[in-house]
Order: sequence, then C-alpha cells, then structure tokens
Amino acid sequence: MKLSRDPAAPGRAAALLLAIVILWPLGVVGEFRPWALFEAHHLRVMGGFLAAFLPPASSGEFLAYLGRATLETLAIATAGMALAFVLAVPLAMATTQALSVSRIGPGSGRRRAEWSRALLRMLLVVLRGLPELVWALLFVRVFGLGPAAGVLALGLTYGGMLAKVYAEILESGDRRPARALLEAGSSRLQALCYGLLPGAAQELTSYTVYRWECAVRASVVMGFVGAGGLGQLMDQSMRMLNGGEAATILLTFLLLVLAADALSGLLRRQLGEASGHTGALTFGARTLLWLLLLGSALAASYAWLDLEFAALLTGAALASMADYFGAFFPLDLSPRWLAKVAWGSLETVAISALGTLLAAAAGLLLALPASGRYGQACAQLTRFLLNALRSVPELVWATLMALAAGLGPFAGILALALHTSGVLGRLFAEALQNAPPRPRDALLEAGAPAAAAFLYGTLPEVSPQLIAYSLYRWEMNIRMAAILGFVGAGGLGQLLYVELSLFHYAQASTVIAAMLLLSVAVDAGSAWLRRWLASPGG
Amino acid sequence: MVHFSRRLALKGALVCALASTFFHTAVAADADTVLRVSAIPDEAPTELQRKFAPLGKYLEKEVGMKVSFVPVSDYAAVVEALASDKLDLAWLGGFTYVQANIRSQGTAIPLVQREEDARFTSKFITADANIKTLADTRGKVFAFGSPSSTSGHLMPRYFLMEEGINADSDFKNVAFSGAHDATVAFVASGKADAGVLNASVWAKLVEQKKVDEKVRVIATTPPYFDYNWTVRGDLDPLLIKKIEAAFLKLDAGNPEHAEILALQRATKFIPTKKENYVGIEQAAKAAGLLK
Repeated sequence: MKLSRDPAAPGRAAALLLAIVILWPLGVVGEFRPWALFEAHHLRVMGGFLAAFLPPASSGEFLAYLGRATLETLAIATAGMALAFVLAVPLAMATTQALSVSRIGPGSGRRRAEWSRALLRMLLVVLRGLPELVWALLFVRVFGLGPAAGVLALGLTYGGMLAKVYAEILESGDRRPARALLEAGSSRLQALCYGLLPGAAQELTSYTVYRWECAVRASVVMGFVGAGGLGQLMDQSMRMLNGGEAATILLTFLLLVLAADALSGLLRRQLGEASGHTGALTFGARTLLWLLLLGSALAASYAWLDLEFAALLTGAALASMADYFGAFFPLDLSPRWLAKVAWGSLETVAISALGTLLAAAAGLLLALPASGRYGQACAQLTRFLLNALRSVPELVWATLMALAAGLGPFAGILALALHTSGVLGRLFAEALQNAPPRPRDALLEAGAPAAAAFLYGTLPEVSPQLIAYSLYRWEMNIRMAAILGFVGAGGLGQLLYVELSLFHYAQASTVIAAMLLLSVAVDAGSAWLRRWLASPGG
Repeated sequence: MVHFSRRLALKGALVCALASTFFHTAVAADADTVLRVSAIPDEAPTELQRKFAPLGKYLEKEVGMKVSFVPVSDYAAVVEALASDKLDLAWLGGFTYVQANIRSQGTAIPLVQREEDARFTSKFITADANIKTLADTRGKVFAFGSPSSTSGHLMPRYFLMEEGINADSDFKNVAFSGAHDATVAFVASGKADAGVLNASVWAKLVEQKKVDEKVRVIATTPPYFDYNWTVRGDLDPLLIKKIEAAFLKLDAGNPEHAEILALQRATKFIPTKKENYVGIEQAAKAAGLLK
C-alpha cells in the first residue's frame, strides 16, 4: 500500500517494460531455457560427472604433470606481462596527450603527429579488442604449440590494455610539470621521468600488479588452444570427462587465483606504505631489492619456458609469418558467410548481455550476506563462495555448463553468469559496505521495514556504482562470449575454431573482424550508457 | 644522491630486461641430427605417447638418428608444422595429408600406410534407445571428432550428405569433441545424442572394454583411404628411403615388431602414393571443407 505511493513507480515500471522488450529477443537467440538444467537427461549427465569428482585424482604421475603445468602457467603470465610492459611503455608515451608536443602549440609536424597518434590508438584498439585466446589460437599456428604462443598472445593483448590505461593515468594526473619541461625543450623521455612519473608511479605500478593477477587467470586457459599451462590439462580431462582429474585441477585453480590475489594485494599495500614516506626513501635499497626479485622472477620464467624468441626473428620466420597473416586478406564478404557471422555475432551479444545481467542479479543477492548484513560467519562463507566462483575461468565454467545444460549458447550464458557473479558480488559487497548509512538509518527509525529501508535508503546510494561495474564487466564479457564457442557454448567461437582448423583463413578473418567490431561497439555503447545514466535526466 | 640512485635503479631495470630477453637465445635443435616426429592428436595425448614409444626406439635404431616425438593437441598445427619444416615425419589422416600437400605446394610425400588404412571406415554411434537409423539423428546433438579429422568429420559428413542429412542445418547442435575417444565419452555421457568415430579406435575401445554398454553402432560408412606417414619433401632422399624401409620391414612374426604393430593397430605397413588420396580431396571439396 505504501509502495503504491512510490513517486518513482511509473518510471521504474516503464524501464522494466523496456528491459523486457529488449531482453526477450535476446533470450530467444541465446536459447535461454533455465528448465533445461532440470531435465532428467542433463541431471544424469552432470550427476555422473560430479560423482566422479570424488576422490580427486592424486596419483604421483598426475600430480607431477599438474605441478609442471602450474609452474608453466605462472611463467607464461610473468613472461607475458614483461613483454606487455615492454610494448606498452613506448606506445603509452606515443599516445598519451600528457606528453604531446604538438598539443602545446601548432608546430611544423603537428598534422603528422596527430595522424600518427590516431593510427597508434587504432593499433591499441586492435591489440586489446581481440581476446587473448584468439591471438593465442593464431600464434599457435605460426610458432607451433607450446607456451611461446601463450606468452606472445598475453603480451600483445595486455600490451594494448596497459598502454591505454598507462596513457590515461598519465593524463589524469597533474600535467603541468611535464608541460613545463617540454616547453623548456626537454625530450619526452625526460618529461616522462621527471615530470609525470613522480606523481603517477604508484598508480602505474599498482595497475601493473593488478594486471599480472589477471594474466595468471588468463594464462590458465591458454592451454585450451594448445598454448601450454594448466588449461591443456583441463581441456584433456574435460574432453575425456575425467571427473577426478577435473576436481584436482579446479582445486589448483582456486589455490592459484587466491595466491595471486594475496600476493598482488601484498605488493600493492607495500606500495601504499612506500609512498607514505617521501623523497629519497621511495627509490632506495628496497626498490632495488624489488627490482632484483622481479628480474630474477622474469629470468626464471623465460628459462623455464625455454622460449626461442631469437629463432622467431630470423628472416625465414618473419617471411612465413607475413605469408600466414597475408592469407587472412581479403576477408570473405559473401552474403552467405556474412549471414552466418551475423547470426554468430547476435548470439554472442545475447550471451554476454544475459550472462552479465544474471550475474548482476546473483551478485547483488550474494553481496548482501557478503557485506556483513547477516553476521560475520555468513559473510565469510559467502566471500569464500564468491572467490570460488570467480577463480574458475569462464571457459572452464562453459565446459561444465555444457554438461549441465547441453551444448549451445545457454551454457555460455550460465558460464558467464557464474564467473561474473563472483566478480560482481565482491565489488558490490564493497560498494554496499561503503554506502553512507544515514538514509537507511533514517528510514529504519521512521519505522520502515528493513527491506524497504534497503530498497529506498541504500540501493539508490549505490546503484550508479553497481551499474557502472556491471557495464564494465559487460565490456569484458563480450570478448569472453566471443570465444566460449571453442568448447561448444555458442557464439562466434565455434565458427572461428572450425574455420581456422580447415585453413579457411578468409572466412576466419571475417569472424575476427566481427569480434573486433563487437568489442568496439560494446565499449562505445557502454560508455554512452554510463554517460546517459550519470546525466541528471538518466 | 637521489638522482644517482634513481638512475642506477633505472639502469639496473634495463639491464635485467635485456638480460632476460637474451637469456635464452638457445640454438634451435639441429635438424640434421634429430628426426622430429609428430602425429595428429586423434586420441588423448598420453595414449599417443604410449603408442609411439616403441616405434620411436625402433626408428632410432633403423635410421641411426635421434628421434624426438613432439606431442601436440591441435590437428592443424601438425599440418602447419610439417609444411613449414618444423617437423620431418608426421602421422597424418587422409584429410590432413591433403591439407599438408596443398600447404607445402605439393612437396609433402606420403610414404607408408597400414594395410587397414586402404579400406578404412567410420562408425556412427548412439546411446539413445530412440535413435535406430541415421535419419533419427535429425534434430539431435551430434558429435564429430576434430574438424580436421578424416574419419571423425570429413568422410562421415560426406556420407551423411549422400544420405540426405546436412550436418550444418539438420542437427540441433554440432559438437567437435576433438578426438575419437572423446566422442565416445560425449555419447556415453549424453553430452551428445549421437556421434561418429573411426572404426579402428572403436574396435580398440570395445576390446579394452572402455565403452559403456548403452553405446551401440547404428551405421558404418563405405570404405575410403585414411591415415599415412608423411615426410616433408626436402628431407634427404637417402633418409626417406631408410624410414620407408624401416616401416615396410615390420613383420608380425617378429615378437619385437609385433608389439609395435599391435600398438599401431596394424597388421603390416604398405607403400602408399598421392593418387590414393584424390578421393578424399574430392569428398572434402564436395562437403565444403576444402575451398
């Protein structure tokens, strides 16, 4: 009764109606059929597989394999990050506006500088617009199977991402010192080192460490396309439906991701402390020690992986690479193929949108106990659940869901929803904890029930943040949805995998172009939505 | 002082970065002393290694070279590696041979095949009591092996086409299990309603009692040429002769050879030639797998 007087009700009802009108066709495309989970047939398949989880495989031979694969995964992540860093620094320097000489005033080379910056930015979009797994799949063909393809794939995608974020971080700080240096005639490197780095170093390092943590998760799945590491083991166990092995590998994922989380958290806290001191101490013995540790970790990674990058740079290797990538042009734009790719793209959009939406709903439900509303024990338990959900990569969830719900896009939706709800649940819980308590308290004191106090006191405070997080995850999920087809979970992935297997490069490159377009479109769409929501009218 | 240590640190970082890049400029394994062998991963990689071990030792002895087996998990990567001289000898399927032949500008040489490969077949299987004929698989989830597989994809697809079933539009969903033994696992578990695999692996799994009793065969393809051992064209002709002779010499009467032949599931090896695979190439074109 009280709710019927809600002044926002008509607007909310209209929004709900609009959402249903948009989501319904997506649901049809994505074969959204939750009841499929409870069909006797699927229950039996999944039950049989889960029953085989116990006991987890623990033979010495398997554990030895597992240990080696885990080390390989870590080494791929570390070596890939190093490569990404080497790529990102010059690219960030070239693209950031904070170091732009031509922006200071019209000079002789201004037009040229603007053009080259635009071109480099486009290169960055291509580098990070394709999922790392697609790069890995491409490189596996040129460099042979094994970790080299994984390292290069990570290096390129993460190089693109790092360069973009580095450039943005440099732009968001105080640009005046760098500008003064540039105007006084110093080189861009000098302006970077003495004008920008002192202010931005901590944020830059913190972001790099966070990306390393992501790289560990990414390299876990590289093996699904034959690029080494734990994924290769998981792929084989899942193909043969060997539950015991899968259980042990899943446990290893959980441990690995939690450990990477903890290490990255520790490093970032260290950074925070270090920046507490000022002046000379920030770059003293301790930094040297860290650099030494970092250097040896890198050297160990490269040595362990036995990469033969030098062999890649011979004339013959470069020529064969050029041949290989040349075969991708021109794209196959025949109407029949375009129709097929368009359908795959639509399916990909449906998977990503519905998966993210489900995840946002589940994440919010899980965030309530995780934020400590129902006591400490409950909070700890939910947090563990959230960690477990997000420690299993989407691709692995997809192989599991293909058993639980049958092959097809619905398995992809579930896979994205499960992983993403772990991620969003954690972020949402933090947002809820940081929400200002006063509106809610006021409502409670005025006699409103707890649910109403939450809906009208807490939710409006945090909803812009929750929506921003969800949109951001949607951007990432569209890239993921594009590759879930590698394991039979719908979308563009299966098309790409099959066409590459058959050496139909022209067709494959149409699929790749579609993936790029999708990711660029979703980035733009989500940015527009965020601006629209942030504007007073939204 | 501050500047000095900062500069030192930067230089240190640079040195570390450079050192790690050039740390491992290991020279690629000398192609003249090692015979690099691989096989399309039509079964689980561990199974491939097990199958190859005695054959590898035998070849090492016969050819007088170190033999290294490069395990892979992707059919197309084997083709690409052979065509770009990263492999010397490879166990290929009929279709992957055709692909390798095209990608190496016709230089790849098929050497020998098992006697069985000259009349190879594929088995359509299901665990669903309601599926009795191939026509009943319409509208179901169907599992092929790898997209590049001859007996797990190309020939069954071609055969289905001749039976009036279009694999692209008549199934509810098509899954690629990746390997023949995985196809059986897919069908046995119900992940796919029906599937197809090569007759040789099927016979082996049945012998080893690794097949769930629900799974049964509903159809068999007509015979076609399949697997062979192929070498890259620019390998030393003398070496090629030695490899060929080693395979042809294998004799089931010799106990040591018998073990190798049993693992390869061959009664003996016979010479093969390019012309044997023209039929496969035509089928691949007809089925739209080769453009």
